[in-house]
Amino acid sequence: MVNLIQQLINGIVLGHAYALVAIGWTLLLGVARLVNFGHGQMYMLGAFISWWAVSDLGLPYWAAVPLAMAAGALFGLAMQRIMLRATFEQNLVSIMIMTLGFGYVLQGVAALVFGSTGQILDTPLSQRDIEIGDLWLTWQDAAIVVAAIVVFAALKWVLDGTRIGRLVRMVAEDPKLAQLAGIDVRRVYYGVFAFEGAAVAFAAGMIAPRTPILTSMGFEEVIMTFVVVVFGGIGSIAGSYVAGVGLGIFAALFGALVSPAYTSAAAFLVLIAVLVLRPGGLSAGAAKGVH
Amino acid sequence: MSAAPDTIAPVLHARGLQATYAGNRAVEVESLAVAPGEIVGVVGANGAGKSTLVNALAGWSRGAPSVSGEVSLDGRRVDAWPTHQRVRAGLLLVPEGRLAFARMSVEENLTAAFAPQSGRGRRIYTRDEIYALFPRLHERRGHLGSQLSGGERQMLGIGRALMMGPRVLMLDEPSIGLAPMLVAQVLETMRTLAQAGLSILLVEQNVRAALEVVDRLVLLERGRVVLDGPAGQVGADPRIAQAYLGANA
Repeated sequence: MVNLIQQLINGIVLGHAYALVAIGWTLLLGVARLVNFGHGQMYMLGAFISWWAVSDLGLPYWAAVPLAMAAGALFGLAMQRIMLRATFEQNLVSIMIMTLGFGYVLQGVAALVFGSTGQILDTPLSQRDIEIGDLWLTWQDAAIVVAAIVVFAALKWVLDGTRIGRLVRMVAEDPKLAQLAGIDVRRVYYGVFAFEGAAVAFAAGMIAPRTPILTSMGFEEVIMTFVVVVFGGIGSIAGSYVAGVGLGIFAALFGALVSPAYTSAAAFLVLIAVLVLRPGGLSAGAAKGVH
Repeated sequence: MSAAPDTIAPVLHARGLQATYAGNRAVEVESLAVAPGEIVGVVGANGAGKSTLVNALAGWSRGAPSVSGEVSLDGRRVDAWPTHQRVRAGLLLVPEGRLAFARMSVEENLTAAFAPQSGRGRRIYTRDEIYALFPRLHERRGHLGSQLSGGERQMLGIGRALMMGPRVLMLDEPSIGLAPMLVAQVLETMRTLAQAGLSILLVEQNVRAALEVVDRLVLLERGRVVLDGPAGQVGADPRIAQAYLGANA
């Protein structure tokens, strides 16, 4: 019983981590109808910049994460600059190949700069535990859960309740009509890509302390993020949160009760089943656009 | 070519305007001008290039034409400007087709995306004024764009444009989807707006309805202006009378 509750706690933490990693891509997909297969490598970059800022620059963790976010936002802007034409033409095949390419270039450059050894990003929170009876998690884990909830709630509020959010929703729904409403669609696309870069770097700064960081870890991240984004219903903010947390709990329980080796395979089986039954994902019926 | 009064500087003036789709010339207009407070009707058969023409003036399209030529708004060249910048300067297009943001309420659809600048000849309508103009939109204000009828979407599109302080209003087939009563009402509204100084370029397939309100009529055939003159005169031209009024009667 204790083991089960412990697995549930692990699953909740893991799930919020999945959701936090996926939020940038969710917005990207919802607003600009873009996929970013370089997402996982951008996560890796965020983790390494955080680690480098702490270990080499001697910055405190609290300053290292914003630095990684700034780098992520700049990288996102540069990517969008290069892909702008394809974005406007909604040339998804080109975008898939280009983002995949960006990812591999990023991975190669990171391997050259940071080497192939695994690194540990220690934070003031990751070394302190919360123990309740036999149950256990770190303060970093608790911070991930809180951060994911805050970021999701904030994004939802910005989209639904602010002027900027309204402009973003207009572009998401019909970029051409948005132009005729006087919106500079290009700036919205840039903004969304900068958010994607900053958000994934933030997620990396928060989550990477849980495991050793490697320059090759991007692929696993991009796959799990893709599952969350599709599960949640393309571009749905609330759907991504539910999908992320659900996937985390599923992975933790499946890993503990069946076998951790088959967790990814099982997750994909469930994904395929859900997509057959509800083609729009969890938020079917309201799957298009950002919510 | 242009019949705009020579003494009054046109609000909108296009010169040597060309639009091509994959090498096929869809529009080739040597000169087209709209004077202050003037309503110019653009008529022609399907595929004559009417929509392509107004889209090119707005620097906008759902397709990907390549457009060249000069477009001036109040004497300022705007042809190098992106769409949103022309919109902000008051060159407004109510296109044919999708006019409403489907997942937004009417109220939200009628919320300006930017703060329009009031200027020479630009009147910025408030949402309440739009509701007064189209009471139907007020009744439907809580409904989503996707729940509106074709006519309601037309009203929404015109309303949104008026709220952005138009200097020139370009309407692409506003009578599509509207009941005859409402067509008359919309065209009547156009008249009132023009009397208040707004310049209007009206693309219409319904030549008979267009002739009721326009000051000047331009006939497009295969992308070229073949007739351009005062409504009464052009309306009596056999090319119009036979091909368009006859067919519509």
